Amino acid sequence: MVRTKSARIHDTPFVNEVRLDAPQWIVALGILAMVMLLTPVLWKKLERFEPGPDYRIPYALSKDYWFYERCLEQTTAANVVVLGDSVVWGEYVRQDGTLSHFLNEESGQPGRFVNAAVNGLFPLAFEGLARCYGGPLRHRKVIVHCNVLWMSSPKADLRTDKEQRFNHAELVRQFLPRIPCYKADLNQRLAAVIERRFTFSEWAKHLQMAYFSQKTIPNWTLEDDGGNPPRYPNAYKNPLAQITFTIPPEPAVDPERGPGSPRHKPWSTTGAGTTRFEWVELDQSLQWAAFQRLVKLLQSRGNDVLVVVGPFNENILAEENRRGFRRLRDGVGDWLANNHVAYVVPGTLPSALYADASHPLTAGYQLLADRLYHDAAFQKWLARRGPRPPGDL
Amino acid sequence: MLFHTWPFAIFLLIVLPVFHALRKTRLWLPWLTVASYFFYGWWNPYYLILVFYSTVLDFCLVALMDHCPLQGQKVDMRARLTGLRFHDRVLKAAFVGAAAADLGMLCLAVAGPKTLRPAMTALSSLVFLMALGALFSSRRIWLLISLINNLALLLFFKYARFVVENLNGVFARLHLSMSLPDPSTLMPFGFEYLLPVGISFFTFQSLSYTIDFYLGNVDRERNFLRFATFVCFFPQLMAGPIERARHLLPQFHKFPEVRLQNFTDGASLFLVGLFKKLALANYLANYVERVYDDPKAFGAPALILATVAFGWQILFDFSGYTDMARGVARLLGFNLILNFNNPYLASGLGEFWSRWHISLSSWFRDYLYIPLGGNRGGTPNTYRNLFITFFVSGIWHGASWTFVIWGTLHGLGVVITRELERSAFYREWVPKLLKQAGVFAFVSFTWIFFRARSLPDALVIVNRVFRAEWRDPQIPTLMIGLLALVWFYQFLLESRFRTLLQAGPVRVGVAVFMVLYLSLCASGGGAFIYFQF
Repeated sequence: MVRTKSARIHDTPFVNEVRLDAPQWIVALGILAMVMLLTPVLWKKLERFEPGPDYRIPYALSKDYWFYERCLEQTTAANVVVLGDSVVWGEYVRQDGTLSHFLNEESGQPGRFVNAAVNGLFPLAFEGLARCYGGPLRHRKVIVHCNVLWMSSPKADLRTDKEQRFNHAELVRQFLPRIPCYKADLNQRLAAVIERRFTFSEWAKHLQMAYFSQKTIPNWTLEDDGGNPPRYPNAYKNPLAQITFTIPPEPAVDPERGPGSPRHKPWSTTGAGTTRFEWVELDQSLQWAAFQRLVKLLQSRGNDVLVVVGPFNENILAEENRRGFRRLRDGVGDWLANNHVAYVVPGTLPSALYADASHPLTAGYQLLADRLYHDAAFQKWLARRGPRPPGDL
Repeated sequence: MLFHTWPFAIFLLIVLPVFHALRKTRLWLPWLTVASYFFYGWWNPYYLILVFYSTVLDFCLVALMDHCPLQGQKVDMRARLTGLRFHDRVLKAAFVGAAAADLGMLCLAVAGPKTLRPAMTALSSLVFLMALGALFSSRRIWLLISLINNLALLLFFKYARFVVENLNGVFARLHLSMSLPDPSTLMPFGFEYLLPVGISFFTFQSLSYTIDFYLGNVDRERNFLRFATFVCFFPQLMAGPIERARHLLPQFHKFPEVRLQNFTDGASLFLVGLFKKLALANYLANYVERVYDDPKAFGAPALILATVAFGWQILFDFSGYTDMARGVARLLGFNLILNFNNPYLASGLGEFWSRWHISLSSWFRDYLYIPLGGNRGGTPNTYRNLFITFFVSGIWHGASWTFVIWGTLHGLGVVITRELERSAFYREWVPKLLKQAGVFAFVSFTWIFFRARSLPDALVIVNRVFRAEWRDPQIPTLMIGLLALVWFYQFLLESRFRTLLQAGPVRVGVAVFMVLYLSLCASGGGAFIYFQF
């Protein structure tokens, strides 16, 4: 047999001393396991977080799912949790101008209706949010908002082939069913699937969201002010000093929201005319399919679900476009009825109470809450004995 | 599939257990080959054609070389050409096959599809040489074919566009109406013209085998799968270390010994590599990128610090990759050679090159510097050989004038400081720290040319380093702190306090710190710098 002449093969040389043997690895892994398991738990005790009756997840923490789950843990069986996207969250209004605030007013019980909406959500992500982080919602009464805007065009339905970048991409299903416009590479998809299973990793993201402008600590130290030449205001700051153990509250005066903000005005005063939407067929809609799965998931978790469909701003629709909308809305209602899901379809609000196609203004929310609260189906659902956790007799 | 991504983690989680499960069969080697080809094909399946072609050709060339007499022989050309009378049947078959193939290729080169003609012309020249090699029974011709083939691939994919653009620029300046076609027009079947990742590494590795066989340093490898695995062994395929046949090939002869230490060492190496890449290199890259993307917007301190930061970035990036490669190989039970040995602790430029990218430095030493004469022909020839070696090393890194200048500067630096470093004064009187600082300063200066986007940019940076105003560099304290920590660790390593670092609690503490830092602070992925070479 011919043998290759060989140089002497040495053991892998090390040029540092980070060479752990088996017992050392066991100790290191033990320490890491303890740190990683205990830190998020202890953090909840250390970090101050006091939700008031109208509390909503701060806009800057919209992608802080660990914190979202923590907020849900604060709810009690007596609460009615209102889930949804920016319509429920209140894109144009302050936290005392949201649907849940006015429902609380109607009920005379501050804090009974909890705003658990997330800005930028859509049914495909909504389903993921509930599946991965909605555990504490089990056996609660929940109101789920169905925003038909997400079915107003193939693009909104995320069905187009052209790549789209959207919020909460980590929450959508990464592999099946396929979302044609979602072009993340395999690593991003796997990271989304795997990392959300690690509480420590979610907690680390929470730190970034809450204290480091949604950046990693190194990137935060290099955050620039956008000037030319750029300045890095955080370069010499001590990153640890940023961690104040207090969740920053929503600003008392938000120039972007509330009656005092320039955005808070009826859609018709912005110069926008009526619109024609390319309503998608319900049986082909990815968003609607995700919404259906969401409702089923909540039901399977023992939630008592009420779906509020709309109210979509019909005033913004061109006359010939309204038929398509109504067909879609009725289709939603039919499915809910067929599946024995309580639902309410509030009538369209006056045109002046909408900021755009789907978001009401403060007075709009007030009117909507009033209509909802006095709706017979809503009252019947509300009066219905809530779900009970297993074993609770 | 980068080492620090989830797809690689899954790939390894499949490859590793199956590899070990197959240890009692003969299938472990094919499994390793398949895994390596899968890993490479993941980037671009077309790359596989190239690496397979290179592997087959070098395997065959060495086999044919093996059939040629060592000392050469007198050949009766007439008998060979007229009666096909060869002493060796393999060479006869090679001659007939090459002649026939050459005829076919020439036909295709003249009358074949237009898109195929350039490739066929090149191949027919190569096959013609093969026919000559068989006809003359010449080991030297077979070696020449291997050299031409490997270097031609490298030149075409890496340098052709650079050469064409520069020549066309010269033609335009001379007001000549001629211009050379873009290399992409020479690709067969309209394949995309792009630089295959790792081509500089696997061609050098494959080439080292043929040269070593020619020189009698290794025996012929008769198992094709073993040789194919040697050329494309996935941990080191993309960016080295460039292995030698006599070191790696014997390790594929039998299943490596299964030891717990393989796993603990492999995990240790991988963790260090991961930390270097994700925690250090990526962070430094952010600062460097901002400054180097717009050097005119920054003052001298920022430019100096960004250059220093780049020096560390490229070290952490490349040595991080190497550590991970060595770690993965170790998990499989194989040993890869050391590629970096704390180069910024070098107290001379010569020493720096014996600590930086060791596998490439030794490759150039063995296959370029020594064949050129090494230090055997007196001082002037030694300097010439040194200079040529560093000049070529610069070009190896990339098709750009900045790399040429980088290599030239190092060549000049080594030539100028060689005598100084050998003097008693330098060795005995200059404090080590000063020597290290001097080497670090020079190396950092040369990095300007390595990193700058273009030659004009590099010149702007050099100019501004000396002339621009002194403004706040705004380099993060955290970055400085991390660098200081690493530097301090390296100093301890080569001092009498090294035993402190060897203590179990320190090792465990460092490992825990690294994992926690990675979990909390590491950002994103990003490819490795040396993949572009």
